[in-house]
Amino acid sequence: MTWMPNAAPSTWRIDHRSWQCEINNVTAIDPEIAGQLAADLPREDFVRILRTFEADLGRLATELEQAAGSGQLDLYRRAAHSLAGAAAAVGARRLEAVSRIAMDPRRTEDPRGMATQIRQEAAAALQELAALADNPPGPG
Amino acid sequence: MARSPARVLIVEDTPTQAEVARALLRDLGHEIRLAETGAAAVRTALEWAPDAILMDIELPDFSGFEAMRRLKAEGLEAAVIVVTAHGSVNHAVEAMREGAVDFILKPYAKARLSVTLQNALEKRALASELRQVKAQLHRDRFLGFIGASPTMQAVYRTIESVAASRANVFITGESGTGKELAAEAVHRASLRRAKPFIALNCGAIPRDLLESEIFGHVKGAFTGATENRLGAAKLADGGTLFLDEIGEMPLEMQVKLLRFTQTGTFQPVGSSRPEKVDVRIVSATNRDPWAEVEAGRFREDLYYRLYVVPLEMPPLRARGEDVLLIARHFLTLFAKEEGKQFRGFTAEAQAALLAYSWPGNVRQLQNVVRNIVVLHDGLAVERAMLPAMLLRQASTPRMAEAPPAAVPELAAPPAASLEPPPAATPIPIPPAPMAPVPMAPASMPAPSADPWLPPSFEPLAEVERRYILAALDHTGQDVPRAASLLRINPSTIYRKLQAWKAGSKD
Repeated sequence: MTWMPNAAPSTWRIDHRSWQCEINNVTAIDPEIAGQLAADLPREDFVRILRTFEADLGRLATELEQAAGSGQLDLYRRAAHSLAGAAAAVGARRLEAVSRIAMDPRRTEDPRGMATQIRQEAAAALQELAALADNPPGPG
Repeated sequence: MARSPARVLIVEDTPTQAEVARALLRDLGHEIRLAETGAAAVRTALEWAPDAILMDIELPDFSGFEAMRRLKAEGLEAAVIVVTAHGSVNHAVEAMREGAVDFILKPYAKARLSVTLQNALEKRALASELRQVKAQLHRDRFLGFIGASPTMQAVYRTIESVAASRANVFITGESGTGKELAAEAVHRASLRRAKPFIALNCGAIPRDLLESEIFGHVKGAFTGATENRLGAAKLADGGTLFLDEIGEMPLEMQVKLLRFTQTGTFQPVGSSRPEKVDVRIVSATNRDPWAEVEAGRFREDLYYRLYVVPLEMPPLRARGEDVLLIARHFLTLFAKEEGKQFRGFTAEAQAALLAYSWPGNVRQLQNVVRNIVVLHDGLAVERAMLPAMLLRQASTPRMAEAPPAAVPELAAPPAASLEPPPAATPIPIPPAPMAPVPMAPASMPAPSADPWLPPSFEPLAEVERRYILAALDHTGQDVPRAASLLRINPSTIYRKLQAWKAGSKD
C-alpha cells in the first residue's frame, strides 16, 4: 500500500533513496519516533495514523490562520496546542517546535507569520512521513 | 506470560494522538474506547468501567485533573495514566497527587506504553485485592451479624467458604449466640438465596406433630388433618431447611430424617407417594452433638449426615469489644423505637459491659440494653443504669485471660433475665472448693473471715461431683446449661454422670 498526502504540492517530491530529508540540518520528522511508530505497527495502522494526521493538519492550520487573521488569540493558541500535540505524536519535531512557540502566551512573534511558518512545517512533515510510509524501517 | 486484555479508555481530543494510542493498544490486544472531552470521559468511564484510562490533561471542556476528581468522587477504581508532553512534567507530578497511578510522556513507543499500562493494571489489581482483604479482615458487619472480633471473622470466613457448596452445615453454640442468624447467613451467601429459607424449631413442636411439620400431611392422615398441608421440606425446595434444636428430635423422627438426607425424598404423613426435593439442611443445637450420640439420644448415622461442616458460634464473652459494637447497635435501635435520646455509653458503663461474662450471650445483651432504654433517660447510658448483676461482676477484679469462675456463673440469672437472682433463690452451693475463685456473688454470705478457706478439706473428685450436681440442680437438670455455667463440655457431665451411675451399682 502506498500512501500519498492528499493535494500534495509539487514540492513534495520524495527522495526514495533516503527518507531522512535534510532540511536546515534537522529533518522535519524525528526518525526515532516516526520510525519506531512505523516499526511498531502494521502498515495499514501506520497509514491510518498518517491520514488522521494529515486531516488534523488541514483543519488545525486553517483554524490557526483564521484565528491569527481575526486576532482571536485564545483560539489561535488552542489550535497551536492541538497542532503541537498531533505533531509530537508522529515525531514531526519542527512542526511541534514552531507550534509550541505559537501556543506560548509569553512569546511575541506575529501570529500571521507563525501561521505561515506552521503551514510550511506541516507540508515538510507530511512529505517526509509519506516517504516513511512508502519505505518503513524494518522491524528491530 | 500471556496478558489478559484490559478495557482501556483513551481520553484525547487530538485525533492524531488518539489514533496513535488506539493503534498501539489494539496491537497489544486491549479493548478500547475513546472520549474526546472531559464530560465524555466521565460519562464513558462510569458506564463502561474501564480497567485503565489514558488521560490527556488539556481537554476542550475541563481539564483531565477535573475529570480525575469527578471519577474519584464517583468511586471509580480505574488505573489512571496521565499522558503529558515533554514540557509539562509538572502536570505529571500534579496528576500523581490527584491519584494517577503513573504518567507517560508523549510521544511514546509501544514498548513504553505496554510496560506502563501493565504496571498500572497490576498496581490496581493489587490495590483492589488489598482493599478486599482488609475489608474482610476488619469487617464489623456480615449478613446480619455485628462483630469485628477475630472469632467472628473466622465465623464469617467459614460461612463464605461453605455457602457455595451443597454440604449440610451443623451449627453449635450456646443459647443466644446467633445460631439461627448463622443459618440464615449461610443461606443468604449461597446460590440458593433466591429460594426459601425455612426454619423449624424441633424443640418447640410437639413430637406428634414434628413429622407433619417437616414432611407435611395429606387430608385425613390423622384427626384434624382436614386439608393437605405442605411441610417445611417441600416449602424449602431449592433453598435451605434450618432445623433448630435438632437434639430435641425424637429418635423415631430421626430415622425418617436420615432417609430424607440420604435420598432427598420423603412421604407426607398419610401419603404413599414419595416426593423429591432439593434441600440443603442446616442444623443447630446448643448441646454437644457427639455427646448426644454417645448418650444414645442422637443417631450416629444421622450425625454423620448432618455434621458435614461444623460451625461453632462463639460465646459473647469470647468476642472482646464486639460487646460494645452490639450494645451500641441495640441502643440506637431501641432508643429510636422508644423515642429516647440515648447516643452512647459512658466509659464506666462500657467497662462494666466488657467485664461481664454474658452467660445469655447476645440475647441477654439485647435484653439488658432494652431494659436500660425503657427504664432510663439521658444522652449516655451510665454505669448506675446497668443491672446489678453486671455491676457486681464488674466491681471485682477481672481475670483477663482465665475462664470465668464457676461460682459467679452459678449465681448468674437465666440467660435472658435482667434481674439479679432473688435472695431467696436456693442456690445449692457446696462448701467453697480449693479452686482459685477470686470472687463471690454479693448474695453469698462469707462463711469466715477468709471466705475462700474451706472449713475442711475433702477429695477433689467429691468437690467436683457436688459442683456438677449443684449446677444441674440450678439449671433444672439442663446438662448443656450446667456445662455452660461450669465452662466445661456437656460431654464431660454426661461422662461423669455415667461413671457415677456405674459406680453406684458396684
